Amino acid sequence: MTQRRRFILLISLLALIGYFGYTYMYKDHRDIKTEVSEIEIVAPYLLERFKNDDGNDLLNRTITVTGTITQVESKVVTIDSNVHCSFTSELGSVKNGDIIVIKGRCIGYDDLFEIVKLDQCTIIK
Amino acid sequence: MNFRKAIILIFCFLPIVVLSQGRYITKTGEINFEASVPSFEEVKAKNSNVSAILNSDNGEFAALALMKGFRFKVALMEEHFNENYMESSKFPKATFKGKIIDFEVSKLSESAKEFIVAGQITMHGIDKFLELPATLAMADNTILMKLQFTLRPEDFNIEIPKIVSSKIAEEITVIADYSLTKPN
Repeated sequence: MTQRRRFILLISLLALIGYFGYTYMYKDHRDIKTEVSEIEIVAPYLLERFKNDDGNDLLNRTITVTGTITQVESKVVTIDSNVHCSFTSELGSVKNGDIIVIKGRCIGYDDLFEIVKLDQCTIIK
Repeated sequence: MNFRKAIILIFCFLPIVVLSQGRYITKTGEINFEASVPSFEEVKAKNSNVSAILNSDNGEFAALALMKGFRFKVALMEEHFNENYMESSKFPKATFKGKIIDFEVSKLSESAKEFIVAGQITMHGIDKFLELPATLAMADNTILMKLQFTLRPEDFNIEIPKIVSSKIAEEITVIADYSLTKPN
């Protein structure tokens, strides 16, 4: 009887370890869309921060950027020629000159074009 | 007076026009890499926001990839890539600066032609000179540039712990794809 109980205990322990191990290894990706943004910033100021080497604490963070659209490509919107926002799906109706608020994950500063890049963006307004 | 102003204005803008003549650019280039070992979880990532500039006058080429822009299928792998291997907060980007050997715009056509790109790659704080094979083609004023090469993590001072080393290939296959267009 005790042997059977021990066996059941062992099995359930293994199942528990397996379950937590699996959820740790295959945890979900961050969902930037539902994350609360940590900072709201205007596009030129965001660029300024990276140019002054003061932007590294924003890396990988979810941020909200506001400004005027200066370029629209199929899955990319550029704000004030300073911030490149890439979307995972096709964009709705946005055009140059629109004032926009975009939430996304800051992936860093591109000094080739002097722009800050965001990915997994969503349009807030 | 107005005429003189106009002349001055024209001369002010002339250098910009001349300078930007042969620049082909992209901000949405693609880099895929794979370090999978058969029968283990695939180690594969993609970055679709790679910047690149090609100067068609002299063949100079530069590219920049932000490390945080590489997306993996498995979230934990992405985390380990950033935090343990690439240390992407300390080294947020990888860059390449070089020249396409014997490049001439007039040589390009719709069918891909092979070239060698020689230059320096900087990643994880390490500089390395490389000669990479590339194919280039031109269609509708767009230069399509494709590179495929292998890199070794140890060359870039990237240490892979023993427990996972059997699951990550020693040579990583990198494929880069750029559709370069003239900026408008």
